Amino acid sequence: MIALYNSRSWKLSSYIIALVLIVPVLVMLVGGVSASTQLYAHLWQTVLPSYLENTLLLAFWVVLLALFFGVFSAAIITQTNIVFKQQLRWLLLLPLAMPAYLVAYLYTDLFDYAGPVQRALRAWFGWQSPTDYWFFDIRTLPGAALMLALVLFPYIYMLTRGAFEQQDQNLIRASRLLGLTAKQSFFKVALPLARPAIAVSASLVLMETLADFATVQYFSVNTLTTAIYDTWLGYGDLGAANALASILMLLVLFVVLAEQRSRAGLRHQSARPNLTRELIQLSFGQQFIASVFCWALVILGFLLPITLLIIMAVQYSDVAQLSVLLSTGINSLKVSVFAATIAVIIALSLGLYQRLHNDKFRQIPQLISGFGYAVPGTVLAMAMLSTLGPLDHWLNGVVEFIGFTAPGLILSGSLFAVVFALVVRFSAIANGTIASGIKQIPRSLDYAPASLGVNLIGSLTKVHLPILTPAILVAWLLVFVEAMKELPAVLLLRPFNFETLSSQIYQLISDEMLEQGALGAILIVLFGLLPIVLLNNSKEKV
Amino acid sequence: MTALLTTQSPIKPIALLTIEQLSITLQEKVVLSTLDLSLDEGDILGLVGASGCGKTTLLNAIAGFSKPTKGKVIIDGHLLSSNGLSGGEYSVPAEQRQVGMIFQDYALFPHLTVKENIAFGLGKLGRAEQLEQIGHLLTLLKLNEYRDSYIHQLSGGQQQRVAIARALAPKPKLLLLDEPFSNIDARLRNELMVEIRQLLKQFKMTAIFVTHNKDEVFTFADKMAVMAQGKLLQLDAPNIVCQQPNSYQVADFLQLGSWLPCQVNSANVHSLLGDFDIANSGDKQTGLAYLLVKPSKLQLNSLVDKQNIANAQVEYISVTEQGYHYYLSSLDGLAKDKSLAFSKLSLYSDIALSFKQKVAVSIKPHDFLFFNKNN
Amino acid sequence: MLRKSFTTLFIALFFMVTFSASASDEVNVYSYRQPFLVEPLFTQFTEQTGIKVNVVFAKKGMAERLAREGKYSPADILLTTDISRLIELRDKDLVQAVNSSVLRSSIPKQYQAQDNTWFALTTRVRNIYSAKRLGKIDLNYEYLADEKYKGRICTRSGKHPYNVALVASMISEHGEAYTLDWLKKVKNNLARKPQGSDRGQVQAIHQKLCDISLGNSYYFGKMLKDEKQKIWADEVYINFPNQNNRGAHINISGIAMAKYAPNVENAQALMEFLVSKPAQALYAQTNMEYPVREDVAVSKLVASWGGYKADDLPLEDIAKNRTTALKLIDQAQFDL
Repeated sequence: MIALYNSRSWKLSSYIIALVLIVPVLVMLVGGVSASTQLYAHLWQTVLPSYLENTLLLAFWVVLLALFFGVFSAAIITQTNIVFKQQLRWLLLLPLAMPAYLVAYLYTDLFDYAGPVQRALRAWFGWQSPTDYWFFDIRTLPGAALMLALVLFPYIYMLTRGAFEQQDQNLIRASRLLGLTAKQSFFKVALPLARPAIAVSASLVLMETLADFATVQYFSVNTLTTAIYDTWLGYGDLGAANALASILMLLVLFVVLAEQRSRAGLRHQSARPNLTRELIQLSFGQQFIASVFCWALVILGFLLPITLLIIMAVQYSDVAQLSVLLSTGINSLKVSVFAATIAVIIALSLGLYQRLHNDKFRQIPQLISGFGYAVPGTVLAMAMLSTLGPLDHWLNGVVEFIGFTAPGLILSGSLFAVVFALVVRFSAIANGTIASGIKQIPRSLDYAPASLGVNLIGSLTKVHLPILTPAILVAWLLVFVEAMKELPAVLLLRPFNFETLSSQIYQLISDEMLEQGALGAILIVLFGLLPIVLLNNSKEKV
Repeated sequence: MTALLTTQSPIKPIALLTIEQLSITLQEKVVLSTLDLSLDEGDILGLVGASGCGKTTLLNAIAGFSKPTKGKVIIDGHLLSSNGLSGGEYSVPAEQRQVGMIFQDYALFPHLTVKENIAFGLGKLGRAEQLEQIGHLLTLLKLNEYRDSYIHQLSGGQQQRVAIARALAPKPKLLLLDEPFSNIDARLRNELMVEIRQLLKQFKMTAIFVTHNKDEVFTFADKMAVMAQGKLLQLDAPNIVCQQPNSYQVADFLQLGSWLPCQVNSANVHSLLGDFDIANSGDKQTGLAYLLVKPSKLQLNSLVDKQNIANAQVEYISVTEQGYHYYLSSLDGLAKDKSLAFSKLSLYSDIALSFKQKVAVSIKPHDFLFFNKNN
Repeated sequence: MLRKSFTTLFIALFFMVTFSASASDEVNVYSYRQPFLVEPLFTQFTEQTGIKVNVVFAKKGMAERLAREGKYSPADILLTTDISRLIELRDKDLVQAVNSSVLRSSIPKQYQAQDNTWFALTTRVRNIYSAKRLGKIDLNYEYLADEKYKGRICTRSGKHPYNVALVASMISEHGEAYTLDWLKKVKNNLARKPQGSDRGQVQAIHQKLCDISLGNSYYFGKMLKDEKQKIWADEVYINFPNQNNRGAHINISGIAMAKYAPNVENAQALMEFLVSKPAQALYAQTNMEYPVREDVAVSKLVASWGGYKADDLPLEDIAKNRTTALKLIDQAQFDL
């Protein structure tokens, strides 16, 4: 394969961008390596084993549940004649717009002892106290796993559905003609073929789970994130905290690499996604079960929580809240727009570099720029302070040396830190989307412009970028929504007088007063719906 | 319809495949219309037709992927699909039809090895039987050294072999092949076709083979069927179809020769290449008709003189292995009746002619075949 | 190419500078306290002095952020809700002494640092709430370990600063071994895993999940004023523990000036304002806390709970035992 371009400045800038994005991660790793081991011994003897166990259990349950929800719903939607298929097809994506901590709070409210459900049960059966009956406790590890799975399964649903829809229909036909029923064909052909998509989406879910902080904290499920917090903020030992965070990140990286390894060589694309597929005809009973399954996911993951929020908003909203909402909303927008735009520009630049430059290691910048996704927001915020702090000091030193007054913490003490953290964290999402967009451009189109006497810039602006427009839009929106929802990084890095919707809602939640922020929560969800609606309308398969 | 005699006669009781009055309408478009077809056990049928003529839909209807709007499909005495003729809709699912299929892109399972692909349809057999059957097919198709390879590690021809082994493994009653050779390198194609034909014969396999290349039919099939616009135009042995096409469409699609417009009267025929007698020819048509002129029946008289009056001129020249290939058109001045003018008469000859050269050509006497464009 | 890089750098710098706003007549606060608790005070301060107050609020990580920022930190003032934080800030050399006679004279001796590095603004008691259905009972912190309370106690996370401070005071009183044993026994008595806030525990008593909980004094007042939470608070008595021996455990909310405060004068003005009578009264009235000034009255509601005897353990001792307390809590696996 001959790459076309050999620009040195492009090469330099690509590596610099990648380096800038990986520096916080490196700072964290280095900080971890040099940590003292005293605290570990204590932690290891007391709480760490159970934290670790909780982390692994949580990850296991979330991934298992999300796989169960996502793969089955994708299978039902693509392979059977379920009723209301066209509606369910996009309704099942909606839970993606719900932040997990929000759902966690709403369900706790609903299913707590004092919540309407248990109240109604007590009134109905005449129970007096908690000892009279058994009711599941939602504030437990399985509860947290269920909450996370309910809002994360659409990742698996979305990618798996796409994989099913793009499978070559002839493969299924071949299987049928070899004597397997539609159902057998699904399990022996369609499902194994969707494995790469399922693996990718499951690893996404895993990373989101390990990075979660608000949900587990609200449910007081102690995980590695708790340990990181304790070591850093409780014991004041940043080094040890960095080390723990590095372990967490390596855990995630290990999973990602294992997943990539497992599907190396298993690339198959369909030449002919066929729309007139043979559907599995459900019997009445099956139809009923499938419908209950899908609708339950839609209702529990989206419709019920949003309804609860709307009820809260109607009951508790007032004018004063609206003005606060406006300013925090604008802040959220500002941060998210910056982050999405920068992440997309970086993803484009590195993605096209990987495609078009003749550097032997041209995939390296893109690869390493995505590492940040594996770093939980809290840890990233910590690393950001460790990175930008010294940089700020150096900058101030330089400016003072020249003879001007020091400008202060222009990096770590400003919106820059927040935006930078968001870009580091979510670059991987933009990278992934844009890289797959670039992959779909036929190789010949890279060569055609040059053969017509058009230079690199012309080729990019007239050929690649226009073709990539849908992917750019999708990438932008995905990062935008994630940035709107992101919590820990914002909490720890905010400049003065700066509240975002998510930070405000988190604080209200931790004081058990979400009612006051219901409007803001609805706003987050509505913004989250934007990309889903757009994705659904565009012909692009995502 | 006359040429369909062989298929319509219900004399032969052991027809393996019988299709009766099959019609399929997809999205208000008639794809197949009242199609009848029957095929004897062990026969290989080559199905040709322009793209969109309904070939693939016919295969899908036999395989069970398209439901008939009307008609019946019967294999080996078992009714597989029926709709409308006598009673309601009935359809046996694809997996119970014992019909094998080889797809244009083979549709091999990328997540399975060669061996596993072949074993895919053998689930009902015992382990030992499976292994024996697979081993047999691997040897037969010379795939032994690739038994544990994945599909993407094989060449196009090897993939083709795997597809055939996989389709034959469960011993289907009927094998359908959808343009199976179109992805094979032209040099290997003929060899492979011959080999696979021998294999099918060895298995006494009944097969329908779809292609748009009539030469493949000659190499591969025992019978030839020509389809157009959802209808079966002619079904017969390939040489008969070529010698006696039953319609203008069949002859034109198969490119059996070029067309010379003629004015046919009761006893003689008038054309711009001269008049000739058809008194002893069987078929009688009157009015404007087209004479199928096979290149071998065209006589070039390169010396234009008083006896050989120039009646055509060279419009196009190309070189072939056998000599020169020319397209001739009629001379303007000669045509009193514009409808008799021709523009693309194919002529093969060793004699070098120049562009726009006027020549005299004539038709050798033979069993003339006249067709009406509209029938 | 060099020129190009410079242009890029300048554009980038410009971009960054526009991010960081700066004005002259202002004071910057890093706060562990909820904004809505302190905002009315800040509004009054701005009205009186014209000095704008900028706030960053976070429950966690403010001190760590300050430490990272070093001498270019924009922070002038640190507001904390716990004595240990204040001492930690001083021990890490992140604060400076404020030499103000106003502060010194307004605040009782035990509630300010000898070296003027920190000052308390309010005090609060770590109370024990008990369900009214138990009747009036006499409660010491030590009693929580009693087996008769098995499955009847609720609390928030053991690692919350309020609980850590309580444990630290236990260490001062009884030593490590006793405290660890006490923690294990209390843990055994818990009705559920530590979770939620102090208010959530009262809710749990209302729900009959447990009978006894730990909670700060002012929450009781706030719950009584909240429409939804009043029902919970009505179910419990607020008890001042250890009245017949050392007294109830006291913690403070306090204030300190950042070491590199850019607006020293404004910062001192804000500190002095916060201990002024009107500000202290506001604390008392709106937040239901005990004002640190002895000449400002508590709110009527708080007064109705009656007087109490406070543990006179020096606050610095509590801070000293903080890390040990954390380790004991881990060792007792209190939160697991």
